[in-house]
Amino acid sequence: MKADNPKTGNPKTGNPKTGNPKTGNPQTDISDRPIIRLAWRVSQEHPFEFWIGFAGFLLFFSIPALSGYLTAQAFEALTGNDIGTLYFIAGALLLAELARLVAFSFGAVSLTKSWTYMRSLMQGNLLHAQLVSGGEDAGPPARSAGDALSRFRDDTNDIVAFIDLWLDAAGGFTFTLISVGIMFQINATATLVAVVPLMLGALVVLVMDGTIKQWRRDDRAATRAVAAMLGDVMAGATAVKVNDATEPVLGRFQHLVDTRRRTAVRDRTLNEAIFQLAFGATDVATALVLVVGAGAIASGEFAFADLVLFLAYLPWLSNFPRQLSRLITRHRQAIVSFEGMEELVAENDPDRVVRQIRLPVVRGRDRRIPFEFGYENTLAQPGDNDHELLVRPERTRVPLERLTVENLTVGYQSAAVNQTTSPIGAPVVSNVSFDVEAGAFVVITGRIGSGKSTLLRTLLGLANEVTVTGSIRWNGEEVVDHGAFFVPPQCAFVSQIPQLLSDSLADNILLGTDPGPDRSDEDLLPVGPPSHPAGGSAGMAPVAGSLATAVRAAAMTDDVAMMPDGLATVVGPRGLRLSGGQRQRVAAARALVQRPELLVVDDLSSALDVATEFELWENVADAGITVLAVSHRPKVLEKADLIVDLG
Amino acid sequence: MSSTPVADVGAPDQPEADQTTTRRDNPSQLQAQWSTLVALILPQKWAYFGLSIALTVLALLPLFGPVIIGEVVDRATAGAGAGDLVSLGVLYLSLALAGQAAAACVAWGSTTLAWRTANDLRVQMVEHVLGLDQEFHRNHPPGALIQRIDGDVTSVSDFLGTVVTAVTSAVLILVGIVTILLFIDWRLALAMGGYIAVCGFIAFRFRRGMVNESEGVLSARARLYGGIEERLNASEDLRANGAGPHAMTRFSEDTSFFMDTRMREEGAFIRLWWGLNLGIVICMVASLILGGLMVSAGAITLGTAFILFQYTQQIRRPLDTIVERYETAQKAVSALNRVSKLRAERPTILDLGTTSPPPGPLAVQLDGVSFNYYADEPVLQDITFSLGAGRSLGVVGRSGSGKTTLSRLILRLLETDSGTLALGGVPIADIPMDELRQRVALIPQEVQLYDGSLRDNVTMFGSDAPDEVLERTLTDIGLGHLLDGDGLHRSIFDSDLGLSAGESQLLALARVWVRSPDLVVLDEATARIDPRSEKIVQDTINDLLASRTSIVIAHRLSTLSQVDDIAVFDQGRLVEFGPRKELADRNGGRYAAMLELARADLTDKIDQGDINLDQTPALEGTNEG
Repeated sequence: MKADNPKTGNPKTGNPKTGNPKTGNPQTDISDRPIIRLAWRVSQEHPFEFWIGFAGFLLFFSIPALSGYLTAQAFEALTGNDIGTLYFIAGALLLAELARLVAFSFGAVSLTKSWTYMRSLMQGNLLHAQLVSGGEDAGPPARSAGDALSRFRDDTNDIVAFIDLWLDAAGGFTFTLISVGIMFQINATATLVAVVPLMLGALVVLVMDGTIKQWRRDDRAATRAVAAMLGDVMAGATAVKVNDATEPVLGRFQHLVDTRRRTAVRDRTLNEAIFQLAFGATDVATALVLVVGAGAIASGEFAFADLVLFLAYLPWLSNFPRQLSRLITRHRQAIVSFEGMEELVAENDPDRVVRQIRLPVVRGRDRRIPFEFGYENTLAQPGDNDHELLVRPERTRVPLERLTVENLTVGYQSAAVNQTTSPIGAPVVSNVSFDVEAGAFVVITGRIGSGKSTLLRTLLGLANEVTVTGSIRWNGEEVVDHGAFFVPPQCAFVSQIPQLLSDSLADNILLGTDPGPDRSDEDLLPVGPPSHPAGGSAGMAPVAGSLATAVRAAAMTDDVAMMPDGLATVVGPRGLRLSGGQRQRVAAARALVQRPELLVVDDLSSALDVATEFELWENVADAGITVLAVSHRPKVLEKADLIVDLG
Repeated sequence: MSSTPVADVGAPDQPEADQTTTRRDNPSQLQAQWSTLVALILPQKWAYFGLSIALTVLALLPLFGPVIIGEVVDRATAGAGAGDLVSLGVLYLSLALAGQAAAACVAWGSTTLAWRTANDLRVQMVEHVLGLDQEFHRNHPPGALIQRIDGDVTSVSDFLGTVVTAVTSAVLILVGIVTILLFIDWRLALAMGGYIAVCGFIAFRFRRGMVNESEGVLSARARLYGGIEERLNASEDLRANGAGPHAMTRFSEDTSFFMDTRMREEGAFIRLWWGLNLGIVICMVASLILGGLMVSAGAITLGTAFILFQYTQQIRRPLDTIVERYETAQKAVSALNRVSKLRAERPTILDLGTTSPPPGPLAVQLDGVSFNYYADEPVLQDITFSLGAGRSLGVVGRSGSGKTTLSRLILRLLETDSGTLALGGVPIADIPMDELRQRVALIPQEVQLYDGSLRDNVTMFGSDAPDEVLERTLTDIGLGHLLDGDGLHRSIFDSDLGLSAGESQLLALARVWVRSPDLVVLDEATARIDPRSEKIVQDTINDLLASRTSIVIAHRLSTLSQVDDIAVFDQGRLVEFGPRKELADRNGGRYAAMLELARADLTDKIDQGDINLDQTPALEGTNEG
C-alpha cells in the first residue's frame, strides 16, 4: 500500500499553503464535509509533538531564505574580489545550514511520533465503533474484515499525509513571503515574470480536480476488491483446493488486479504529472527571468549577485505551487477517506472518527511490552476518569427474575427480502412471544431459514439493517439498547461459528476479565444467589466462575490436558490451530466464565456429543442460569421448559 | 483432531522477524531475492530497456541549465548585448519544456510497467500459496498473507515503478556532473567524484541498520493490521460478550509495539540523513571558498565558479532523492525478503504422479495406513479397508477418533506416514494432483463464502457451467428462493440474502454437485442443518451420491440410512467395518449399539405437541474438526 510514513522529510517536497488550516483553503466549499476541521482535530491529538514538529519544519523550510541571501552576498564579495568577506559569509552560511539540519531532526522525530498518535486515534475510534457492545458509539458492522482493513490502513494514512502537507505548506508559505519580498525590491518585473508560471501550475491542478477525485475513488474501489478477494481466498485456501477451483480463482484474481492496474496507473500518472508540472515550472521561471532580465543583465543594472539570489530562491519557490497542488489532491483524497471511515462509525458521523480517546492498557500484564518512546502517557491509567470511554465499564449485575419477549417481529429493511419461508417483504421472525422465569431452559428450534439465528441476534442487538417491532423485557422492564444491555454479567453468547483470536486459550476464554481464584474443585457456579459477585479485584467487573470450572463445564478439560502449554497454549491465528469443535467449546467456556444471568447459545450440537451437552445443560440449570438455546436434539428438547418452534 | 497438540507460535510474525535478522547475510537468500527480481523483470525486458533510454535523456537535460547560466554571466561580464542573452534564455526554456514532456512519458511508462510486473508476481504468489500444504495455512493468518501478497508486492512495485526510475536518473545526473566538470578542470571533477563517493559510502554504511529497522516495522505493521483484521472478524462474538475493551487493550499494545519499532527506524533514518546532508552543506561552503580562491587567482571565470557552486546545489537533489527513496527502497528490500521467503516455502505434498485411475467411480483402498501430526501421538493407526467403486461408506466414531484426518488423507491434504492409500487401484501419490482434485470432492462442515455473486460462489469463479444448470441445481437442493431478484448474479453478501449457516452448507453441496466428481467425501456436511431440513436435503444428497463412490462422515445416524458400508473408528483405529445391514444386526457390535442408543433417544417422549420428529433421530457424534 502506501508508504506508512508521510514525513521523514523530503526537503524538496516541502510546500506552502497557509499555515493556519482554518483560513486560506479556497477549495473547502467543494465538499460540504468539514474535512479541514476534522483533520485539525486529528492533528491536535498530541499537540506537543505536533507543534514541535511544526516549528522544526517551519524553520527547515524558511532558513533557505537566509541561505539564499547569504549566497548572493558571497558572490557579491566574489565579484569584488573581497576574499575576507567571503570567508565570513561562508561561515554564516555554514551555521544557517547546520541550524536547518538540527531543526529537521527535531521535527522529524516528533512528527513520526505524532503521525502514529494520529493514526491510532482514528484507528482506535473505528475499532471501538466496531467492537463496542451497543450504546451510542456502536457503528454498523463492516461488510467484510478485508474491506474494513483498508479503512484502518489506507484511509488513516491519507488523513495523516494530508496533515503532513500543512506543515510543509506553512514552511513554504513563510519562505515565499520572505523571498518574494526580497526579490521584489531587487527587480519587480523579473519577480512577477518568475511567479506567474509557478502559479499557473497550481491552476491546472484546480481544473483537473474532479478527475483527480474520481480516479482516486476508482482506484480505492479496485484496491478493496482485490483485498476482499485475497482475504476470502487466503482464509479458504483449502476450500479452493478441494473444489478444484485454483484456476478460475486465479482467473478472477487476474481480472481484479488488471482492473486495479488500470485505475492505479491512471491515478499515479496524473499525480506524477501534476508533481512534475509544478517542478518544471521552476525551469520555465528561470528561463523567463533570463529572457525578461536580459537587458538589465547586459546593462549591469541587474547585478550578478541579484541573479544568484533569484536562482537560489526559484527552486524553493517552486515548492509553493507544487505543495499547493498536492494539498488540493490530498484534500480530495482526505474527503474520500473520511467518507470511507465514517461508514464504520455510528450515524456515519465523521466526528466520531476523530473523537479524543485514550487507549486502555492493563498494567502488569505479561504481554505488555515496554514503551521506550513515550507511548505510555497516552494510555488510560487505572483510576483515570477523564477518558474511561474505552476502558471496560463496570456493569452492574441485574439479577434476572423474568424474561419476556412480546410480539417480536423482525424483518429486513429492504423490500426484497428472501428467506426460505417468507414471501417477499414478509418478516423473518414474526410475532414471537414467550415469558419465562429465571432459571428456565428455553429451546428454539425450526428449519433452515426459519429465523432462529435472526431471533437470537435481534435479542442481542447484533442484527443489522432490520426492523424490529415488539419488545423484550427484563424483569418487566423494556430493554431499549439490546447491544449494550445483553452483555456480561447479564448475558453471554455462544455463536454458531465462534471466532477466536490469536492469543492464549486462557485469554480467549477470559477476554480481559479477572480470572478469579482458581477453584477447580468447586462446582461450576459455587456461590449462592446469582446476584452475588464471585470476587474479582478492585477496578474489575465482578467476576465469574473460575477459569478452570468454566473449562470443565464446557467439556474442554481433556483437550486442554493434551495441549503442550495447557491454558497458556496459543491458539494460532483466528484460533485455527484448534478444531472446529474445540473452538465451539472454547466459546462455551468463554460464556460460562462470565457466570451470566442469561446464556444465549446458537447450536452447540456440533461441538458436544449428546451426553456432554446434556450434562452441560444440567450444570447450567443447577446454577440457576436462564438459557436460550437453538437446538434440534430430541433429548435437549425434552429437557426444555419451553420450546419455541419457528417452523 | 482434538488430539493434535498445539504448538506455541507466539505473536504473529514475531518469530519470522527474528529469523530474518539472523539470516540476513545468507548468500542464498540474496540469491533468492535476486532471482525473484530477475523472474519479475525478464518478461518485460524490452519495455524496461526502452524506459531506461528515455530516462537517460530525461536525466541529462537539467545538467545543461547551469552551463547556460554560466555562459550568460560570462558573456554579460564580457559586455555581450541583450539579444545574445535572450537567445540563451530561449534555449534554456526549450530544454525545460522538453524535459517536462519526457518526464510525463516516463511516469506513465514506469508505472504501467511496474504494475504489470507486480501483478504477475501477485498472481504467481496466490497460485503458489494455494499450492502449499494445509499445515501452512493453519499457521499463517489470512491477514498476514494478504500483507505479503498485496502490501509487500506493492512495496516492490513502488520500488520498480518510482524508486528505480528516480534513483537511476539521480545516478545519471551525478555521473553527468562529474563528466562536465572534467571538461572544466580535472581537479574539480576529482574532488566532486571523491565527495560523491564519500556520500555513497555513508549511505552504504547506514544501509544495514536501516533495513533491519524497517523490517522490524513491517513486522510490527503486520501484527497491528493482522490483529485488527482478526478482531473485526470476531466482532459479533466480541460485541455480544462485552469484550470490546479487551480487544482495544490488545490494539493499544500492538500500536505501542509499532510506535517503538517505528521510532527506531526513524532514528536510523535520521543518522543516515545527517551523514548525507552534512556532507552537502560542507561541500557547498567549500565550493564557494574554493571558487573564490580560484577566481581571484585567475584560474577560472566568475561564470565557471557559478557553475561549480550550482552543481554542488544540484547534487543535493539527486542525493536527496536517493536517500528519500531509500525508505521506499528498504521497504521494498524487506518486502522482497518476505516475498522470497514465501516463494521459497515448499509444499511437502508433491505433485509427481502420472498414473490415471480408471474412469468412473473410484474404489478406495487403505492398507496399513497410519498418520500422526507429531511424532509421539498417532492419530490414525494401521487402517486397512477396501471400499468398492460406486459404493458408499458411512464413517462413525467419537471425537478424536480420526474421522476428519481420514477425509484429509483421501483428499491428499495430508500425506500418509506409512501404508498405502489407493484410489481406483492407483496409490494416491501417483495420481496427478489436477486429476485428483477434479475427481475427488469434499463437502466440509465449515463453508467459506466469497465476496462475489451467487454464481461465483457455486462455480467457484468458473465460467463454464451454463446458468440453467446452476439454477436447476440450486432449486433441486432447496435454495431456489435465493434466485429471486437478480438470480445468479446477486451478491452473496447482499444483506437481503442473509445466508444462514445451513444455507451455506447447502451451497457447498451445490458446488460439488455441478462438478460431478467420481468420489465424494462429506465431512459432517449436514451438521448445521436441522433434522427437518435435513430430511429434505437427504434425498438430494442420495441423488448426488448415487452414481459415485462416497464416504459420509456422520453427524447423525439417520444420514447413513442409505449407505452400503459402515466403518466405526475409535481412538485412531478402525474397530468395525462391514456392510451396514450386517453390522446393524450383529450381536454386541459397536454400530448395532449406536443404533440402539439412537432408537432409545427417539422413543423418549416429547410432550410438546408442536414437535413432530417423524424421522430417525440423531445419534450425535462429536465433530472433531
